[in-house]
Amino acid sequence: MKGAEVISKLSTILDGEELVVSSNGNVSRQAYHLLQGDQFYIRGSMGLPVPIGLGLALAQPRRTVLVITGDGNFLMGLSAMTTVAYIKPDNLKIIILDNELYSTTGGQETVSSAIDFSIMIIGMGIDSVKSFDMRDDENLITEMLKDTIHKPGLKILHLKVEDDTIKVDDIPQHPTVIKDNFVKRL
Amino acid sequence: MFMIDSDNFLSYLTDNGFTLSTGVPCSYFKDLLLALEKDNRFTYIPATREDEAIGLASGYFLGGGRAFLIIQNSGLANIGDALTSLAQLYQIPLLVFVSYRGLESDKDSPEHVVMGDVTKPVLDAYQIPYWTIQEHNWKDVLDNALEVMEEIKKPICILVKKGVLGE
Ligand SMILES: Cc1ncc(C[n+]2csc(CCOP(=O)(O)OP(=O)(O)O)c2C)c(N)n1
Repeated sequence: MKGAEVISKLSTILDGEELVVSSNGNVSRQAYHLLQGDQFYIRGSMGLPVPIGLGLALAQPRRTVLVITGDGNFLMGLSAMTTVAYIKPDNLKIIILDNELYSTTGGQETVSSAIDFSIMIIGMGIDSVKSFDMRDDENLITEMLKDTIHKPGLKILHLKVEDDTIKVDDIPQHPTVIKDNFVKRL
Repeated sequence: MFMIDSDNFLSYLTDNGFTLSTGVPCSYFKDLLLALEKDNRFTYIPATREDEAIGLASGYFLGGGRAFLIIQNSGLANIGDALTSLAQLYQIPLLVFVSYRGLESDKDSPEHVVMGDVTKPVLDAYQIPYWTIQEHNWKDVLDNALEVMEEIKKPICILVKKGVLGE
């Protein structure tokens, strides 16, 4: 299963009230084209999807905030996870689409293949982390996404996914339009 | 030089709608940070990096809240991309207090000297409006700075020298 397919599946599970933050490059482009609603698509600021989601979760404690991030983005901003571990916001959900690559810039390797994400995140004191390999077993995906989004509490879902060679169009909106549309939903 | 009273300062920020603060400490803000941690009008989030703090404050703004940052000028060198490709690009207003280290009084801290020299040129290059506050003028300066921030909907910096908000 590819990252874009996980995002497509998500679109059948979200109820439309969730606030979704997606990391720069392919992931936010896919989120723009595949998810319903005006979400927050990050164009730059690589490494910051987690802190942006954390700030949003703190400002909107009654809404579910979902961060969808590539592994390159997640690892660049890794220390922000320790802040999440310290705060433990109930309404924050993070899905890591781990293709072990910087896919957007041409498929160069990240260091993610060396990391056991579950053990690392459990070591931060977050026990609600789940890690699955979607490259050969796609059966559980619906159930896992439902658990992550709909069950209460901080949840981290780490998914190993196939490399995404699916080319997606750019996001046509100017960033200020992205922001204005997103803010209107609050 | 006199120090600004931390409680007055925080009350001013409350009156202006700020409810969250984040950043990485500098000893120049020691007194303010002590008061902030005890003050239940604010949530203070200790960030691990200054760019993370910009992300967090930006997310808080997107969620309808108002956050201010407290960082050292060395941290200015950590936030270039967060400023240019997030806060400035999406037009997210942020109030950033920056300690102005590396001036004459900092002769014993060589690690701050270069940044002290380039702090203003760096802010100019990033096209970030900035002001310096002192004990006698801080309210007027902040009134004006916040007005500009609202108008341009972008981050602004307030430079804080030694002894103004901490040791
Ligand atoms: C600070 C910074 N460095 C480099 C880039 C170039 N860049 C854009 S997207 C990207 C890859 C992101 O990787 P990942 O989050 O794993 O997502 P994927 O591309 O694999 O979907 C890179 C390196 C950038 N935008 N910002």
